[in-house]
Amino acid sequence: MNMKIALFIPCLVNQMMPDVAIATLSLLEKLGHQVIFPQGQTCCGQPMTNSGCFNEARNTTLKLLNAFKGVECDAIVCPAASCLVAAKENFHEFDQSQEALDVINKLYELTEFLHDIAPISGFKNKFEHTISLQMSCHGLRMLSLATPSESMGPQFNKVEAVLQSIPGIKIVYPAPRDECCGFGGTFAVDEGAVSAKMGKDKAHAHAATHAQYVVGFDPSCLLHLDGMIRRQLLPIQTRHIAQIIDAAL
Amino acid sequence: MYQSKSHADNATIFCRDENRVDWHSKALWNLREKRDRAAASVPEWEQLRQLGSEIKLHTLSHLGDYLCQFEQKCIENGIQVHWATDASEHNQIALDILSTHSVKKLVKSKSMLTEECHLNPFLEKHGIEVIDTDLGERIIQLNHQPPSHIVVPAIHMKKEEVGELFHQKLNTPKGESDPTRLTRAARKHLRDQFLSADAAMTGVNMAIADLGAVVVCTNEGNADMGVNLPKLQIHSMGIDKIVPDVDSAMVLLRMLARNAIGQPITTYSSFYRGSKVNGEMHIIIVDNGRTDIMQDKILAESLKCIRCGGCLNTCPVYRRSGGFSYNYTIPGPIGIAVGAQHDDSNTIPWACTLCGSCSYVCPTKVPLDKIIAHHRRLKAQQGKLPFGKKYYMPAVGKLMSSPTLLNCAMASARLALNVIPHRLIKPLSGAWGQYRELPVSPTSSFDTWYKQHRASNKGQNNVS
Amino acid sequence: MSHNTASKHAILAALGQSSINQLNQKPDLSSLKSTSILPSELINRFEKGLTSVTGELIYPDNGNSIDLLKDNVAKLIHQGMQVISLVDGIKGNQLMTTHPHELKHIDYAIMPARFAVAENGAIWVDSEQLNGLNAKTHRVLPFICENLVLVLNKDNIVATMHDAPAKMRLHVGDFGTFIAGPSKTADIEQALVVGAHGAFSLKVYLI
Repeated sequence: MNMKIALFIPCLVNQMMPDVAIATLSLLEKLGHQVIFPQGQTCCGQPMTNSGCFNEARNTTLKLLNAFKGVECDAIVCPAASCLVAAKENFHEFDQSQEALDVINKLYELTEFLHDIAPISGFKNKFEHTISLQMSCHGLRMLSLATPSESMGPQFNKVEAVLQSIPGIKIVYPAPRDECCGFGGTFAVDEGAVSAKMGKDKAHAHAATHAQYVVGFDPSCLLHLDGMIRRQLLPIQTRHIAQIIDAAL
Repeated sequence: MYQSKSHADNATIFCRDENRVDWHSKALWNLREKRDRAAASVPEWEQLRQLGSEIKLHTLSHLGDYLCQFEQKCIENGIQVHWATDASEHNQIALDILSTHSVKKLVKSKSMLTEECHLNPFLEKHGIEVIDTDLGERIIQLNHQPPSHIVVPAIHMKKEEVGELFHQKLNTPKGESDPTRLTRAARKHLRDQFLSADAAMTGVNMAIADLGAVVVCTNEGNADMGVNLPKLQIHSMGIDKIVPDVDSAMVLLRMLARNAIGQPITTYSSFYRGSKVNGEMHIIIVDNGRTDIMQDKILAESLKCIRCGGCLNTCPVYRRSGGFSYNYTIPGPIGIAVGAQHDDSNTIPWACTLCGSCSYVCPTKVPLDKIIAHHRRLKAQQGKLPFGKKYYMPAVGKLMSSPTLLNCAMASARLALNVIPHRLIKPLSGAWGQYRELPVSPTSSFDTWYKQHRASNKGQNNVS
Repeated sequence: MSHNTASKHAILAALGQSSINQLNQKPDLSSLKSTSILPSELINRFEKGLTSVTGELIYPDNGNSIDLLKDNVAKLIHQGMQVISLVDGIKGNQLMTTHPHELKHIDYAIMPARFAVAENGAIWVDSEQLNGLNAKTHRVLPFICENLVLVLNKDNIVATMHDAPAKMRLHVGDFGTFIAGPSKTADIEQALVVGAHGAFSLKVYLI
């Protein structure tokens, strides 16, 4: 089923990880979707609302919302789970109109979209590497991309489901499986010591799997882990799930 | 006026000894793993959590009625019921009861409420000797420390440190650090205390409204040993400890020890519906800020907590910052939830990445991450933001809401990252660069790339 | 008796300002009660539960637990142990004391149990068992003894804690307790030590 998709590229991805956005655009097009990139996208407001500063977040949140209001599309897809969660919550916080709700109801994180809305298949290229999955918190526990390790409910894992049919791919997990990497937005600077220790532990846990890549759906966590991995000189690299999928299509 | 250190400062000190952080974190993660196994062994675990949450919410929403019913039933059981609006009233009531009975020595089993009320120093000031009888509590009492965890209060101490403490206080052999031999020494020491105490005091795990009974859970048997020797027994409970009936209590009892330490139930789960023959039983019902918490719909859910400590064990920040970094009697996620308004450093709501693990671990589904986020908002509204956020957040908000401004700023940042040697930037990049390498910077933003590659030739399928 | 009624009214008044939705219904818990599980299966589950809390089940193949207990009590007494029994037909060498503190010398307390819970090995003892044999027993007995022996009828095992309320006896003024294994602690570096303040061992004779 071909769809018309509007890309939601959060500021961090836009500015610091454009390759993730390019891979997202590319893979969606390879899957036959029509992809547009609405202009005027701003920050979702997460850095401010996560610090309790809602007044300071209002402007940027509403501008981002406006960028999507009235855009003709079937879905709005974002390659960053944490920003997507914040956008949904903050749009609702600052605008309870039907128009806003229409936007909110079309918002999907990339994995979620490739699993629930337009299930992906037809990988052509082999990816003969072991990847260690970074099950970032907001995608895991707020978007329910998989069953968190704390939960004894029905077991599912959309990230694994999306990736596992890539020929040659081997998926492993760090231990503990889904502990936070310690980024947490401004937490990384407010609580530098604890954040760094969490990041270090997480980077080492990924490296201990002997995987070639840490793969995740949340660019901010990947950025954090990348900084840690290079500081610790660990033999592993970070990749966004979009980059793995795009290469395999 | 003295202001408490920020959580971040306390944590930075704790983190200096990385081996100790690893040891502390692993010890608590071990409890989380035991909890996972215990929870997995109950097929209806998630159903129990849901029911636990509903039972507590229902009770809280009818708390006045249930408290009155509880009191009425207690009176029928011959139990004396006292009401205290705050910590000082609680402490005064306890002192009055003890004084009436000329109590010189009180044995106490673990109660976070009496920690919250700072009862021990108050009673000691009035000449009453207070002996904490839970082994972990006794260790920290001898060490003049508060608990660092609500279930395993001495989790921050290594066995060698306990050994040295016992050598000094209990005359164990120098260098003895074997947990079994140290526990035996404590048993002997505490047995003497039990046998010579004039009264016993315990916390309450659950108070059953339709019975007028309190449930007290321990593994060591210290509560029951204490309560059942002297004539006088006192139980202190927060108003949030009420459950409607025994059926409800069973739902919570099935989860309490499993979620705390992975045990199917505590060794002793005792139901006191009255005093021993010729004895006297008192219950002190305490508010101490709980009704204030209930005024806020989001914060109110923190009162569903049954104090299992599961959220501390899973919390990646608690495990790496220790129980003394929170500026409140209760540390960890639940400590932030119920203690943030008491934290004069105004930083503990930020001692959290909002990862949400605690909310999933919680047996009564306290939405801890939402409550913590809400505390941040309340602090912002009160003008009590830490870490200079009050000054920089408006600027960030302005920057983030302007694509042009943001693009300019980020373009300069990318340029800086690319052309200036990182060793020169690091000192300016604060906590990020202190612990991590700075990001590898792309040459342009996606915006720019898109304009160059796409904006003019829509519909082209290949990406270069 | 109720004290500090002014504070009581202050608390109740403050609760009137609560923001929690008054419509939260009490959930229906009836579905949690166990359906028919075979008695033999319950015994197996109980043994597993009891073992997991470091208790020990004694249920000889010939089913004659009482005779075995009698023999064992005789041996204990022969070894010089102080044994007190509240179980009909089992005689110890100690009688109930005037003061609870005097029970500190008891090596073995043998008591009847009302029922047990398979899922966690917990065994319920209440005032009626404590007052067995017409002797007013001090509540402290199962806690102060060095070793605890409970005698349980094999038909009195329920599957989960949800089945317990129907079996519990907790009359006005009563006391009752679930005992799951011997006293234990892990407060020093989480090393499990059996025998914290209460009994060092728990044996359950199934009759």
